[in-house]
Amino acid sequence: MKKKSWIWSLILLFSIVTGCSGGNAPQAGSDAGEEPSDNPPAQDAVTLDFWYGWTGPEAEALEALIAKWNSANPDIQVKGLSQSDYQKQLTAITGGNPPDIASQFGQNVVPWGLRGAMMPLDDYIAKDGVDLKDFVPAALSTSQHEGKTYAIPTAMHVSMLFYNKDILQEAGYDGPPETISDLKKYIKKLSVAQDDGRLQRLGLWPGMDAYTFSYAFNGSFYDEATQQVTPDHPGIQSAIKLSKEIWDQYGSDNLDRFSSGLGQYMSAQNPFFSGKYAMTIDGEWLPTFIKQYSPDLNYGIAPIPYDESNPELKNSGNVTTSVFYIPKGVKNPDASWKFIKWMTEPEQMAEFTAALGNLPTRNSAFSNPLYEDVPGFREFLDYSGSENLKSFPASSYANEYMTEFSAQYDAILRGTVSMEEGLDKVKAKIQPLVKW
Amino acid sequence: MRVSTAANQRKPVSGWSKKERHYVYLGLAFASPWIIGFLAFTVYPFFGSLYLSLTEYDLFSPPQWVGLQNYEQILADDRFYKSLGNTFFMAFISVPITLAVSLLIAVMLNFKVKGINYYRTIFYLPSVIPIVASALLWTWILNPDFGLVNMALRTLGLTDPAWLLDPRYTKPSLILMSLWGSGAGALIFLAALQGVPRQYYEAAQVDGANWWYRFWKITVPALSPIILFQLIMGLIGAFQIFTESYILAGGKVDGSGSLGGPEQSLLFYAVNLYQEAFVFLKMGYASALAWILFIIVLLITFILLKTSGRWVYYGGE
Repeated sequence: MKKKSWIWSLILLFSIVTGCSGGNAPQAGSDAGEEPSDNPPAQDAVTLDFWYGWTGPEAEALEALIAKWNSANPDIQVKGLSQSDYQKQLTAITGGNPPDIASQFGQNVVPWGLRGAMMPLDDYIAKDGVDLKDFVPAALSTSQHEGKTYAIPTAMHVSMLFYNKDILQEAGYDGPPETISDLKKYIKKLSVAQDDGRLQRLGLWPGMDAYTFSYAFNGSFYDEATQQVTPDHPGIQSAIKLSKEIWDQYGSDNLDRFSSGLGQYMSAQNPFFSGKYAMTIDGEWLPTFIKQYSPDLNYGIAPIPYDESNPELKNSGNVTTSVFYIPKGVKNPDASWKFIKWMTEPEQMAEFTAALGNLPTRNSAFSNPLYEDVPGFREFLDYSGSENLKSFPASSYANEYMTEFSAQYDAILRGTVSMEEGLDKVKAKIQPLVKW
Repeated sequence: MRVSTAANQRKPVSGWSKKERHYVYLGLAFASPWIIGFLAFTVYPFFGSLYLSLTEYDLFSPPQWVGLQNYEQILADDRFYKSLGNTFFMAFISVPITLAVSLLIAVMLNFKVKGINYYRTIFYLPSVIPIVASALLWTWILNPDFGLVNMALRTLGLTDPAWLLDPRYTKPSLILMSLWGSGAGALIFLAALQGVPRQYYEAAQVDGANWWYRFWKITVPALSPIILFQLIMGLIGAFQIFTESYILAGGKVDGSGSLGGPEQSLLFYAVNLYQEAFVFLKMGYASALAWILFIIVLLITFILLKTSGRWVYYGGE
């Protein structure tokens, strides 16, 4: 009797333990068959899990492409999963059960790739003869490090100057500012403040993208020859000085108060849509939002103003990307690669990026007629061909670098630290991380 | 294990009979789900993180032993001190204020007035709202131009700060938010208040003690074990504060941009730890941060418990 109860408790215990881990029992292939497709999947079809960060309508656009692939490739069935929590990719890869294909932000590629979380794709690229020269160099460089390619950039983003034509006309301007000294004059004239300093309207928010303007001033964040990080590069200093000069015209108190009263970015109350900003520096997705939230806005898109002493740097910009990659430890890397290769072919890339309102990374996709319907893309596609587009130097420590830089940039603007001191701090903190 | 029990068997003093031993095993077997869980999910990670804190570990490649290097780097890191300072501010300023306010609310909720149950419910209500929802709600209440708080301040002719954007006001904003949720603490105080023997107050009243005296000489001492408990729990909570900062100070999905708000005034210890671990992939460094936090909390709790003998009274003493 007592022996029995002892055994029972053991059985109970084991059933609990096994019950907990039983959730992941393999069900290979069985789900794929339920997906509607023209060609029924082959009996021995490989099923690939594809985790992407897009949601809502953007995810639908991607799913449409996946369905297209599945019906054309009965032997490789792809199952998409909208998974905007990128932490999950980390845990899945370290847990040894990664998705077969995943999307990521370009800035994470080299940090993850160098640590071995992403498969280098160079052998596949060479074998299949993918023409890397077709890619925008600044976009491709976000996923490359010392000759290795860890991911394929599928979409890119770059910022231009948006201006409110009505407000500029009121102030007597026919066109957008072309040079940086023009820009300063415009901002002064277009901003409206009450007698007590409270702002009604800003020409341009002064805490603007420091990377874009650093490149306009020929700044560089890393010196290859000496292997030094260079946050104190003269070009970067010029960009910060420009922001600081505008910032100090109004002061932190007024700017904080003004910005806290501004509406949500993705709404009709976006400060640029509602005329609280006369100009703004923003990405290629903004025209799509304007069409959606504020279709009557009379606006124009112009190149980033250039520095008169660096006229050869007209049309400068800071490129960021979204990429597809193959995680470490996947079972069918060949199949994963086939899908990535197909997805990043000019045609599929155009279909996907046009639906998202993002820019393609391949020159041969620029001329695709699909983009004709995307608002603002005439200007942005032209701009994407500019030779002066750059991206933040990809490295294992890029995230630390950008975090530290933006923290000090904020402190410099607010005057809690001098520019020299702030940039020295960035350098002191980041330089020791340079080892790869 | 086996050896020692076998040895015990021979000693009649501590020896268990066969039957007793059987019950011990049976008990252990029934407790085993918890024991296994405790070993696997508490003890193992606890010592695992201690080991990791002495290594460089990026999740993907095996940990590399670096000795005390992580700790040395932490002690030289500006962000560590900034986050520690912000966290201490919340622990030593926000927690006592919240405690005092919840005690006050509890005393008021102990009054015998009509409809007291409704008041109690209303004060407790904010505590059931998820922290993310209440944080978003407060961004509107604290909006400098349209927010309720500034509207009130302006009517009174006072200055209306840019609460969540001005680095000087971001932490006070968080204190304000935590005060709103002090009903949960008040409920615990209220339960304790109702356990204070009535005759103490009656005796004091006979002796002519006024309300103030009764509060300080009877209520507070009688509640002191609860105050100590809430103080320690509050401090531990303050050292782990994360969500409010993450919501209010823009944690972007891509992890870009800096967490921690204007001038990193909301960069709390846990936020910094999260950033080091999951954005920068420095698990060893983050484990070392966690251990430093553990030691700090341990020290503070120890000091509190040691000094509590002077102001905490337990019934029957």
